Amino acid sequence: MIRNYFKTAWRNLWRNKVFAAINIIGLALGTGVSLVIILFVKYERSFDDFHTRNLYRLNEVQKQEGLTASQKVPISMFPMGPTMQQEFPEIVNFTRVRRAEKYQATYGEKRMDLPRAFFVDSAFLEMFDFKLLGGNRQRALQQPQSAVITASAARKLFGSENPVGKRIMHYGGDTASLMVTGVLQDIPRNSHMQFDLLISFATDYKQRMMHNWGGNGWVTYFQLAPHTDMPALERKFPGYLKKYLAMEDQWKNYELFLLPVKDIHARTGDIVLDMVNDRKFDKKYTDLFFVIALVILVIACINFMNLSTARSAERAREVGIRKTAGARRFQLGLQFIAESVLLCLLALLIAAGGVAALLPKINLLIDRSLSLQLFNGNTWLALLSGALLMGIVSGLYPAFYLSSFAPVKVLKGSVQTGRNKSVLRNVLVVIQFASAVFLIVTTIFAVRQLHYMQGRDPGFSRERVLTIRLNGVTYKNYDILKEELLRNSNITGVTGAQDQLGGHLDQSGVGFTAPDAPVRMISATRLIVDYDYLDLYKIPLVAGTGFSPDPSRRGREYIINETLARELLKELPHATMNDLLGNKFGFDSLGRIVGIARDFNFNSLHHKIETLFLFNQKDFGFSTLSVKLNGRQAGAVLSFIKSVWAKYCPDQTLEYQFLDDHFAEVYRSDKQVSTIIGILAMLAIVISCLGLFGLASYAAERRTKEIGIRKVLGASAQGVAALLSAGFLKYVLTAILIACPLAWISMRKWLEGYAYRINLGWWVFLLAALLAIGIALVTIGFQVLRAARANPVKALRSE
Amino acid sequence: MLLQLRGIYKWVNTGINRTFLLKDINLDIDEGEFVSVMGPSGSGKSTLLNVIGMLDDFDEGTYHFMGEAVQQLKEKQRTALYKQYIGFVFQAYHLIDELTVYENIETPLLYKGIKASERKALVADMLDRFQIVGKKDLFPTQLSGGQQQLVGIARALIGNPKLLLADEPTGNLNSKQGEEIMELFKQLNQEGVTIIQVTHSEKNAEYGSRIIHLLDGHVERKGQ
Repeated sequence: MIRNYFKTAWRNLWRNKVFAAINIIGLALGTGVSLVIILFVKYERSFDDFHTRNLYRLNEVQKQEGLTASQKVPISMFPMGPTMQQEFPEIVNFTRVRRAEKYQATYGEKRMDLPRAFFVDSAFLEMFDFKLLGGNRQRALQQPQSAVITASAARKLFGSENPVGKRIMHYGGDTASLMVTGVLQDIPRNSHMQFDLLISFATDYKQRMMHNWGGNGWVTYFQLAPHTDMPALERKFPGYLKKYLAMEDQWKNYELFLLPVKDIHARTGDIVLDMVNDRKFDKKYTDLFFVIALVILVIACINFMNLSTARSAERAREVGIRKTAGARRFQLGLQFIAESVLLCLLALLIAAGGVAALLPKINLLIDRSLSLQLFNGNTWLALLSGALLMGIVSGLYPAFYLSSFAPVKVLKGSVQTGRNKSVLRNVLVVIQFASAVFLIVTTIFAVRQLHYMQGRDPGFSRERVLTIRLNGVTYKNYDILKEELLRNSNITGVTGAQDQLGGHLDQSGVGFTAPDAPVRMISATRLIVDYDYLDLYKIPLVAGTGFSPDPSRRGREYIINETLARELLKELPHATMNDLLGNKFGFDSLGRIVGIARDFNFNSLHHKIETLFLFNQKDFGFSTLSVKLNGRQAGAVLSFIKSVWAKYCPDQTLEYQFLDDHFAEVYRSDKQVSTIIGILAMLAIVISCLGLFGLASYAAERRTKEIGIRKVLGASAQGVAALLSAGFLKYVLTAILIACPLAWISMRKWLEGYAYRINLGWWVFLLAALLAIGIALVTIGFQVLRAARANPVKALRSE
Repeated sequence: MLLQLRGIYKWVNTGINRTFLLKDINLDIDEGEFVSVMGPSGSGKSTLLNVIGMLDDFDEGTYHFMGEAVQQLKEKQRTALYKQYIGFVFQAYHLIDELTVYENIETPLLYKGIKASERKALVADMLDRFQIVGKKDLFPTQLSGGQQQLVGIARALIGNPKLLLADEPTGNLNSKQGEEIMELFKQLNQEGVTIIQVTHSEKNAEYGSRIIHLLDGHVERKGQ
C-alpha cells in the first residue's frame, strides 16, 4: 500500500513537473537558508564553549571628566588582578592579558612574524582550556623569558624539530630572547582570543606597575569558585574601588562589572576598545538572521500548503475514482501526506547538497568556518524528523481537504471551490508578501546606511594615503625614511602618528589650567603626531595655529578638537574658543594649547566624535607612517617606497595599506550584515514569487470557465488580464500596507544604533512597494496573459 | 439576409491525417428565422454554432454576417460585432458562480460600456419579464436548473441581440422545464429575434421553422 502511495506520488510529481519543481525549489530554498542559519547560530553559540572553568572578564564603566559620555571598556588596571584576588575569596585565579607588539621571531636562519602575541600571567593555561601538546600547564609561563607557541607557528619556525626548550630571538625590541616552554594546539577559530604566541607576564614585569592605578590597558580574566553569587560579588566592587582608588577621588570615575567569557563574543555590542575580541559579532544580528530564516521557512511551508491545495481540482477526479474503488477517507489522507513527506525529504536532500556545495562561498562572505560537520548524528536526526514533521503538517490540510470530496460530485466535474476556502490562502499570500516587502525595505536601508558611513566626509582627507606600520625597531628610522620618501616628486607628504585613524585611539588623562583657576584633570583621546600631520590629512583649524616645525617647541604644543574645546568652555562661561589658546594644557606645566582643529571622525562613524587632543612628540615613537601620493604612477611610487624601505629597514617586512582599504575593513561587519540581509530578502522574494506564480496559475485554471464566459460576453483580453491582476494586486497592496509601518518602526529603532545615520526617506518605502508590485505583476503576468488570451470555446467545451 | 456561409471548412490535423469538423457548409439564414440544427454526437453541431457565433475560427470559406466578411475582420472588430448582435445560451448555463443573478445578467452591459442607471433599468426589465425579480440576489448554485437557464437566457437577451445562439439549451433540464424554455424561444422568435438552436430532441427541433441535419461535418439535405 505504502509502495502504491509513493508510486502515485512519484508519478504525480513527474506529470506535473512545473508544479513539483516550484514546490520543491521553494521548500529547498527555505530549508537551505534555515540550515545555514542554524549552522551559523550554532557556530556563534560555540564561541569559547570549550573552557570548562567558571571564567569571567573584568570590565570597567569609565566616567571620567572630559569624555563625551561614560563608556564600557574591557580593559582594567595592572594591579586589579592580584589585589582583587586578595580581597575576594570567590576569585580563585586571575590572568592579565596584554597585546604585545608584533613579535619577530628568529631561530637560526629562519625568521618569521608572529603578529599576535600576548603577555599573560602564569595562571593563563590553568584557567583556559587551550590544548597543550607539549610542556607543563602549571610551570610553562612562570619564568621570565618563557613563551608558549602554537603548533602551526612552531611548525613554520622549527620544522619537524621539537620546539620545547628551543630559544628564539626577537629581532629588536625589549624582550631579547624567549625560551619555548610549551606548544599549544592551534587556537580554535571559535575563540574570542586569537594568538600565535604567549609570553610570560614576568618577562615584562616591573614592580612599580603595581602602583599604576588609573592606567587601563590590561584585560583581566578571573576564575571564580563554583556557584559564586555574582550579584553579591559585584556589590562589593564599589567598596574595593574606594579603598584602592582613594587618591583624588578617582574611584568616582569607575564602576566594575564581570562578564562571562562565553558572552564576550556576542554580548559586548556596547563595549568599546575591545581589542582582544576576534570577529566580535553582536547577538542581536544573529537573532535577527534567525528570525528571518524562520520567516523564510514559514513562507516556504505556506507555499507548499497553498500549492498543494490549489492543485486539488486536478486531483479531485483521482479522489473520486479511488473512493468509488473503495478507498476510505483516511487512506486517501495518508496518501496525500505521504506525498508531501516525499517532497519534504527531497527538499531536505537538495538543501543539504546545495548548502554543502555553497558553504565555502558562504564562509568567505561571513568570515566563519561553518561546516556540516558541526551537525552530529542527533542534529541530522532532528533535521530529518523536522522534515518529516514539516511534510506531515503541510500535508495535513490538503489531505483533509482533498479527501473530503464526494465522489459523485467530483466525477460529474462540479467541485465547489467556494469563496471561504480561499480566505486562509489569501491571508497566507498577504503574510508572504508583507515579509518580502519588509525585507526589501530593510535591505535598502542597511545598504544605504553602509554607503553613507563609507562615503560621509569624515572631516579629514583619506584619499591616496598609504599607511605603513612601524614597530619598535623601524620607528627609529622615521626621520630618514621621511626624508628619503619626500625625494619622490609623486609623494606630496609624509607624516607620522602613534596610531592609525579609523579605530579606537588610546585615551589619557591630561591637565588643563585656565588663568587664575586650579588644574582641571580630564580624560580625552590622545593622538601623538608629527608636526605636519594636520597638513597631510587636510584637517583645518578653527582657531590658533598648527604645530611649528621648530624642534625646540616639540612636546610643548597641543592642538585640541572642537569637542574638547567645548568641554573646556563649559567651566569658563564667558570665554570663547580663542581664549583657550595659550592656556596651560598637557602632561606637564610646559604645554600650551596652540590651536583648535575642526572636528573630524577619527573613529568609525559608529561612534560620535570624542574629545581629542593632538600632541607633537616624535620622541614617543610613531607606529604609523602616512604617505600621501598625488596619484600619478602609483605602481612606480609603490616600488620606490619598497626600495627605500628595503634600504633602511632591510630585515623588516613592509606592512602597508591604503587608508581607504583600512576603512573598508572597519565597515566590514556592517557590509556582511547588509549582504546577508540582502541575500535573505532576495530569497524571501524568490520563494514568495514561486508561491504567487503557483497561485496565479491555479487561479487562472480555476477561473477558466469564468474567463471563458466573460470573453463570450464580450470582455477583451486586456480586460480579463486586468481583472485577474487586480485580484492579486489587492493582496500585494494589503501586504504593503501592513509591512511599511512595521518596517518604519523597526528601521527607526535600528538606525538609532548609529551615531551618524541616514534619514528614513519615504521614497524607500515607495520604492519597495513599487518593487513588490512590479515583481508580483511579472510573476503572475505570464499566467494571466495566457488565461486571458485563451480561446473561450475550449474553456466552455468541458461539458 | 442575416448571415451567409459559403464553403466553410474546419479541420484539425492529427498526425498525417486531417480530420474534418466541418465540410463545405453552405448556409443562408434570414432575419426572423428559427433554425434547429440536429445530428448525432460529433457531427459538428456545436462547432458550427461556435463558428457562427465567431467564437471559433474556420479554415476555409467565407462567412458574411450582416454584410461584413467575418474572415477578414480583426479579433477586436469581431468581438465588437458579436457583442453587438449575438447572444449565447449554453447547455450548462455557464453562469458565473461568484456573481448573483442580477450581476450575471448585468455583465454583458458592463462590457458594452452602458451607464449604470440605464443598466439598472434594463436588468430590472429583464428580471420582470422572466418573473425572477425575487431571485435577483441569489447565487446560481441556489437556483434550480430551469431557473439557471432562465437567467442564462435573460443574460443573452439583455444586450438586445438580433441572433440568439443556443447550444442544447434544454439538455440539462427535465421535460417540463425544457418545454417552458422552448415556449419562451418561440415567443422571442415571434418578437423578431433570429434563433439558431442545437438540439438532440426531435420535439424541440419542431419549434423551429427550419431543421438542418448535420452528419460528419456536412449538411444532409432532407426535410424542407
